[in-house]
Amino acid sequence: MNDFNNLNIAPTKSSPEITLDADAGLLRIRGESFPENASKFYAPVIEWIAEYFVEAAGRKTVFEIEIVYFNSSTSKVLMNLLDLADYAAGEGKDVSVHWICDEENETAIECGEEFKEDLTHVPFAIVIKKNG
Amino acid sequence: MDFDLYQFHEGIKKDGVLFCYSGPISQATVEGIGVTLRLNMEIAEAGGYTTQNVFLVFVEQMQNILNYSEEWLTSELDADKELRKGILVISQAEGYFHVYCGNRILNKDMDVFRNRIESVRLLGKEELKALYKERRKGEREPGSKGAGLGLIDMARRSGKPMEYQFTKIDDTYSFFSIRVSVEDRT
Repeated sequence: MNDFNNLNIAPTKSSPEITLDADAGLLRIRGESFPENASKFYAPVIEWIAEYFVEAAGRKTVFEIEIVYFNSSTSKVLMNLLDLADYAAGEGKDVSVHWICDEENETAIECGEEFKEDLTHVPFAIVIKKNG
Repeated sequence: MDFDLYQFHEGIKKDGVLFCYSGPISQATVEGIGVTLRLNMEIAEAGGYTTQNVFLVFVEQMQNILNYSEEWLTSELDADKELRKGILVISQAEGYFHVYCGNRILNKDMDVFRNRIESVRLLGKEELKALYKERRKGEREPGSKGAGLGLIDMARRSGKPMEYQFTKIDDTYSFFSIRVSVEDRT
């Protein structure tokens, strides 16, 4: 897409790696998420994704979330982000969510299921990675 | 020495304390101690589920101190530089990991804290799940820095009702303590 810059944020000890690639149709959040101020940390991400779904009319989009642990304020932000994807899917856009977790991370699997229950339109796959 | 460190050390060891931190808390403290806590749980061969729950409660408690403690150090030169103070203790006893957290609060906020805790502490698993999801979808509570979700999340991880108490310090302040007990499913 023209004039639409990709957004990459490097991981820290308490915030995830974020890759938002408009050309590839890839939105990826990976790592740990318990920043001191989640709404401030994720503000540019929410803004980017909201704008992306407006622009990305016919584009196939995969929203990949692979988070080992997230705190409660991140949970709220993730709900907002997933609602954006759900709304876009409801408008007929080709978007799907891949919730990726380790087979041993029972908590992350449960969290994925609970997000899935609260979404209506967007295809939501829970991808469980096997160890070894 | 006027402070008997050995007595203190043996005393908390007898109470099953794995870990205790008292003093100023920053985000870096949460990150650093968090890494050590996970490592400790791994060496103690606690199961993944138990470890995740203890870690989750630890982070919520520490970040509550970061956001809500009414006791802090402020730089006279830079008002943005401040460190809030509190205490966090993790102990292991009778099949539970108890995560205790304490900090100073204003007396006038006591009822708000009490009501928030009482509104969730005796709810069952399904009720807590429903409330958590409702609050997550809803608007932020006015004046709240957190989503208000943290307390519900802790109640969901607690294997028995959360315990708490207020100890009056003076006309302005009280000390608030809370205990969340994660079941050791290892």
